[in-house]
Amino acid sequence: MSTVGSALPSTVAGTRAPRAWSRSTLLVIALVLTVVVAVQFGAVPIAAADWLNGPWNDAPKTGGAHVLWQLRLPRLGLTLAVGAALGLAGALSQALFRNPMAEPSLLGVTSGAAAAVALTLTVFAGVQVALPAEARLWLLPVVGFAGALAVCFSLDRLSRWLAPGSIAALLLCGLALQAMTFAVVGLCSFIANDEQLRAINFWTLGSLAGANWPMAAVMGGALLVLGTLALRVAPRLNALALGEAAAAHVGIDVERLRWQCIAMVALLSSLAVAWCGSIGFIGLMAPHLARQLVGADQRRVLPHAMLAGALLLVVADTFARTLAVPAEIPVGVFSALIGAPWFLVLLRGAVRRMGSA
Amino acid sequence: MASLLTLQDVRVTLGASTIGPVTLRVDPGERIAILGPSGAGKSTLLRLIARELRPAAGHLSFEGRALPAWSSAELAQRRAVLPQQHGVAFGLPVELVVALGRVARPDDGQQHLIVREALMQAQAEHLQGRRFDTLSGGEQARVQLARVFAQAWDARDGLLLVDEPVAALDPGLSVSLMAAMSDFAERRGHALVAVLHDLNLALNHFDRLWLLKSGRLLADCDALPATLPLLEQLYDTRLRLLRDEHGLAILPMVAGAVGARA
Repeated sequence: MSTVGSALPSTVAGTRAPRAWSRSTLLVIALVLTVVVAVQFGAVPIAAADWLNGPWNDAPKTGGAHVLWQLRLPRLGLTLAVGAALGLAGALSQALFRNPMAEPSLLGVTSGAAAAVALTLTVFAGVQVALPAEARLWLLPVVGFAGALAVCFSLDRLSRWLAPGSIAALLLCGLALQAMTFAVVGLCSFIANDEQLRAINFWTLGSLAGANWPMAAVMGGALLVLGTLALRVAPRLNALALGEAAAAHVGIDVERLRWQCIAMVALLSSLAVAWCGSIGFIGLMAPHLARQLVGADQRRVLPHAMLAGALLLVVADTFARTLAVPAEIPVGVFSALIGAPWFLVLLRGAVRRMGSA
Repeated sequence: MASLLTLQDVRVTLGASTIGPVTLRVDPGERIAILGPSGAGKSTLLRLIARELRPAAGHLSFEGRALPAWSSAELAQRRAVLPQQHGVAFGLPVELVVALGRVARPDDGQQHLIVREALMQAQAEHLQGRRFDTLSGGEQARVQLARVFAQAWDARDGLLLVDEPVAALDPGLSVSLMAAMSDFAERRGHALVAVLHDLNLALNHFDRLWLLKSGRLLADCDALPATLPLLEQLYDTRLRLLRDEHGLAILPMVAGAVGARA
């Protein structure tokens, strides 16, 4: 008995850990390569000398150095952080709803944030003007958070009340909430003036064009905090896969865990939406990729979903920047063009496994 | 001896059906089978004891303390539950599902050993390395049983609540798993409360029977052959008792069979 027992951990460690490890490495290498390529691609070519001509250097900036240090790198930083945030938000909402098809933008959480932002931009435009300039950067994230939280909370209650445990019912509730939030956005566009309309358009389509260093830094910091918190709840999220009742039986405070998840999903989605608009489907694709690579253990899914989300969004944004140079296509268009067919493929898989969703 | 679990005038409502009021107790190390026809409220009673449902009236206490006063983590160290539904979302590996039984405890380095041995006791060690969602119903039941074993592994004099643990298994497996479960509970002094459909398992492996019919407690009696009339009343059917050196067996009386023989 004891020899068998002691043989187990080494075989488990010997067969599984290296494979998962090498797949993680593969993902990191793919991400680094994509980033390197993404920096070089663009309307303005970047020379090697531009890399040395950074903000620390007082020398007059060439066009390339300006583009690199003031536009491309902060944008890349924000893209990485937003992509990782979307991937994490997707992974968390899938774990929360025990549903591989869940995703903040599909469930209306993202558009809830967008609706709150649109309301702030138009109906409550006066509030924004009254605020000092430094506070304005924060107004939209805070408002977006409130909108995302409201949708997330209503969704949680509605789907439990109408049809607990049903994947289809959850997505349909999300659809209904999304329709409501779109109606709010529509109403706001209707009463908006030209300038407000452009801003709303920016939010509904999603774009990373407005990136600057402070945004990238705040997003990165928020990601660091929320990512750490998410990894701490990851073992308990695994227990949630047993079902809520069984999770409580093994000692999880399910109500508290749900609230932590809802708050994290709402925070991550609203931060992403507030500065970049709604970018859909990254949160659906990234956790799915992560599960394909490293299995379903949430302790591994969460970090890999962040990496995969960052990778996917950098690729999408690079296409968005470069396909129609000098014009730019909103990145949300790309993520939806790739993501929606992906969703259908996943749906087919889910229906096959379960007979019906 | 102080009771492990007591139910005092407890009533519970689930949908249109009401159960109770019932007053029951479980003593340490005792093995109790909950029997009754389909829809009698057996699972509802078990879920009430497992704290999944709140009582509409009455009082439940576990180890002398009101059941609602326990935190989930504390309770998880003293009692484990095997639910009727086995579904696990996503394709978690079998070892992880079993290890989830110990998620509320700090990992003391013993975890992988316990997981391994729990799988062996549940006769599921050959399922290691598989994904839970690729297993058959019977295999899933065994892995979930191993999870319950892992959870109650190092506790003593605790409580195991199981809902139809062997419903999806073939006869050989159901007998050997029932024996494994009894043995596991007995070695650790755990009381065992099980919802069962199989009268023979109930008579041969359990000390006491709670007979439920239409949400009412028909009887709380020892698991002895003398309960046969009560069981007939419970299921509204004639039963016959067979006995040999290996134990007891109860079979339904086949209509017309007696007349044909005569």
